[in-house]
Amino acid sequence: MRVLTSDRLDRFFASLAQSWELRLPVLLPDGTRVIGSPDDGQLALHGGAVPGKPTAAFFPQQGTVFTADDGVLQELPPPSRPLFVLGFTPRDLACLRFIDRFFADGWRDDVYFRLRQNAVVAGLSGYCGPGGALIPPAGGNCDLEFFWDRNCWLVIPNSEAGEAIAAELPDAATPEAMELFRQASAQLPDENELLIRRASELLRSDRVPDSFWEEIGDRCIACTGCNLACPTCTCFGVQDWRTAKQVERSRMWDSCQLDGFMREASGHNPLGSEALRTRRRIHHKLAADPEKWGEISCFICGRCDAVCPTGIGIIAVARELVARFG
Amino acid sequence: MKRTLTVCPYCGTGCTFYLVSEGGRLVGVEPSTTHPVSRGGLCVKGWNAFAFVHHPDRLTTPLLRRDGVLLPASWDEALDLVVQRLRAVQKKHGADAVMFASSAKATNEENYLLMKLARAVFGTNNIDHCARLCHSSTVTGLAETFGSGAMTNSISCFDQADVILVIGSNTTEQHPLIGSRILNAVRNGTRLIVADNRRIRLSRQAELHLRHRNGSDVALLNGIMHVIIAEGLEDREFIASRTENYAALAESVADWTPERSAAATGLEAGVIVAAARLFAGAERGMVAYSMGITQHSHGVDNIRCIAALAMLTGNVGRPGTGVNPLRGQNNVQGGCDMGALPDLYSGYQKVSDPRLREKFARVWGVAALPETPGLPLTRAMDAASAGLLQGMFIMGENPMLSDPDQGHARTVLENLELLVVQDIFLTETAALADIVLPAACYAEKEGTFTNTERRVQRVRTAVEPPGEARADWEIICDLAERAGYRGMRYTGPAEVMDEIAGLTPIYGGIRYDRLNPHGLQWPCPDRSHPGTPILHIESFTRGLGRFSPALHRLPAEIPDDQYPMVLTTGRTYFHWHTGTMTRRTHLLDREEPRSFIELHPDDAARLGISHRDRLLVSSRRGEVRTEARVTTMVIPGVVFMPFHFAEGAANALTNNVLDPESSIPEFKVCAVRVEKLP
Repeated sequence: MRVLTSDRLDRFFASLAQSWELRLPVLLPDGTRVIGSPDDGQLALHGGAVPGKPTAAFFPQQGTVFTADDGVLQELPPPSRPLFVLGFTPRDLACLRFIDRFFADGWRDDVYFRLRQNAVVAGLSGYCGPGGALIPPAGGNCDLEFFWDRNCWLVIPNSEAGEAIAAELPDAATPEAMELFRQASAQLPDENELLIRRASELLRSDRVPDSFWEEIGDRCIACTGCNLACPTCTCFGVQDWRTAKQVERSRMWDSCQLDGFMREASGHNPLGSEALRTRRRIHHKLAADPEKWGEISCFICGRCDAVCPTGIGIIAVARELVARFG
Repeated sequence: MKRTLTVCPYCGTGCTFYLVSEGGRLVGVEPSTTHPVSRGGLCVKGWNAFAFVHHPDRLTTPLLRRDGVLLPASWDEALDLVVQRLRAVQKKHGADAVMFASSAKATNEENYLLMKLARAVFGTNNIDHCARLCHSSTVTGLAETFGSGAMTNSISCFDQADVILVIGSNTTEQHPLIGSRILNAVRNGTRLIVADNRRIRLSRQAELHLRHRNGSDVALLNGIMHVIIAEGLEDREFIASRTENYAALAESVADWTPERSAAATGLEAGVIVAAARLFAGAERGMVAYSMGITQHSHGVDNIRCIAALAMLTGNVGRPGTGVNPLRGQNNVQGGCDMGALPDLYSGYQKVSDPRLREKFARVWGVAALPETPGLPLTRAMDAASAGLLQGMFIMGENPMLSDPDQGHARTVLENLELLVVQDIFLTETAALADIVLPAACYAEKEGTFTNTERRVQRVRTAVEPPGEARADWEIICDLAERAGYRGMRYTGPAEVMDEIAGLTPIYGGIRYDRLNPHGLQWPCPDRSHPGTPILHIESFTRGLGRFSPALHRLPAEIPDDQYPMVLTTGRTYFHWHTGTMTRRTHLLDREEPRSFIELHPDDAARLGISHRDRLLVSSRRGEVRTEARVTTMVIPGVVFMPFHFAEGAANALTNNVLDPESSIPEFKVCAVRVEKLP
């Protein structure tokens, strides 16, 4: 375990920028926090999870899949430098682990792994949550973790790449303190975790009537923000742009809240209402994924709740669902 | 990777987001989490607002028509030719034989500059823009009653209302981040009245859903006001201290009993009474409306009644109240503010006032400015048809799809001596032009947009324009220079805004350095003024609010044996107006890929029509082929069509009859016949 003081952050990241394409939590001019380029704004490690989809670093909202010039396929060149991405909370890291497995399972998604393959992923934890709240340590799922102990950043490498990056930093004086932080974290109540688990049980035992989804669907304006902010949503649409000499295929984040997502060529749509689509979205995370992958694929990051203009993010829906049915 | 804070180019809500770019290409958007309106959210169009920008159809070079074909040309050649041919038309037919159409999609600075170009350089007041088609009746009606034709309150006021009356606005689809506030307000106890005969999403949460006949708004509102006065629910103190001409209103609605109102609207009398009691009983009652109110041959009368209802119940000048026209386009408020109107300079200063003409002439460095108000856009088409207008310069508008009676519009545009179109894509209108100038889109230039709550916000350059395309403001300044005018040399849009501020009292304190991060709401008369979230607090802009009674008039064309159904037109959630941008956005076009018409299951059964059947829809103006959408969204006897689609264009059917005062067309009511195609 190493240590990094606040006054050395700029120098540390400037040094990293020699070899890596940096993506760090920064504060944009209007106060919005994002994982972005250091040029975008002031470094902002404190404040907890960023509002945007953190996995966008490897799976951007829109990106080229390939181009074909005069009928000859041009694959994307590898990135000039690998990515170093800091800003994943432990919950975000769980999301990343989930989609890493998803994108690798069976047919390996080369467009995703083009950026993900050699990237270094760094977690953020400690007393750097909103208002100084404690974010429990991740203890894995990343190359290295930055833990704020209220005085300095404890840097904990978990991989060879992480070790190499942390190597230049001085050793932490009291590495055993981490155990105390782990114990403190274990005491944290996690009502949302219990809520999501209970909602999952209710869905899997078919205890939620269609009328509930009608009510929720009536409040959905189909903005798609829940999908676009969700770190475990990986669905994408594909488009081809053609000019006289070139075809460019790109893909963009899609949303299962859209009618066109499941509409059949006949015009029939098995998910032809907001109620059915909302039910499916939440059912997928809380009931279908546990059967397929053995775990709920909502890691309770809260992004869909924050981005939804009408208050029907997954935690809000789970709360209503549990209050009424279970 | 770069992030650029800017304003959404779609509706007038004015959400802001960061455009995310990588290597000079846009790759996504990220909502602003601190913005007072969007608060970290966006609608589906906002989330996809980056996606059309690099489309291969973008115009990248000027085009000139040679032997009937549009061919690439240089900027020098194209711009010189624009000036030369505009001058030639004016020389032959007079200064007012040319018309400039500005754009609610362009920035304030660009609207101001095109207005200045028309007036100072080409000596005509023939300048207008598509506000003529959406809220010209608001500008006229509210100017008369309140003295200011803009939304009285702020979007945050939706959170504070006790009762909201939404009339003629499908808010969750057309102003989604305002519609979502209304949904949230209802969850928190606000009571909602929806007056709109389509079964829009908001109606599912409404305490009262009034599905009144198309074009019967005056009858409905007069009926409501009758009940309020008859039951003594009016705010006498407000009426006495803040308004004038109340007696005329009271007399005008005296015989609008609930029964008479019911007969005219098709509603139950009891529902009208209930709506009156609910609205008048609110401590804070708010009205929000949009095209369902304005786009009628009696649009101004509709506004007069809404203004009267608000004053009658004392609901003006306080948080959670007010008359709130929801402006449709990203900068339609700004287009009006900037004087892209035939009778007004920027800040609603009348061209007919000699002192104002002198003020503008002095600053612009010209000897004199034209005195006679110019032609509204809608009347310009008729003037062209009569041969009085021979040249049009159209910036960022597509009247071939957006104007009523497409056949008429096409004939007019095709027969002009000169048609110049400046746009980002080769629209249906640009395809008819003699000269096409390629413009930068919102993501490729600096400037400001003004949203529906009068918030002036910065638009910023995220990426470079494609090919040789240039920002509208640069093109306009270049045209002025080539026309021999030396008063349009600016270092950039910030300097244009300084000039606007100097000439425009309501924008007097607007400077770029004051607009970070989330803008200022006009009136903002000086550099220390914090902006104005709510209008008419102490007194109305005109002093006393004026009650202007209105008589109920039927729409110009009502169904008959030959054309037995009412057609009403509008937009869908996923497309924007004539589809120039959204039909080139993969996810949005996938949602609504083709023209359709909504008709009620009873009508469908009667006509032997099934869902998705191909239909022929005809009116006295023309006919279109489209697809049936059988739904209870509409009431029996009424069909609805969106006007986005070139193939199946709703405006081939609509009626080019205008409100006599505002010149807004009656898009919301015409008579059609619907038949199943074999």
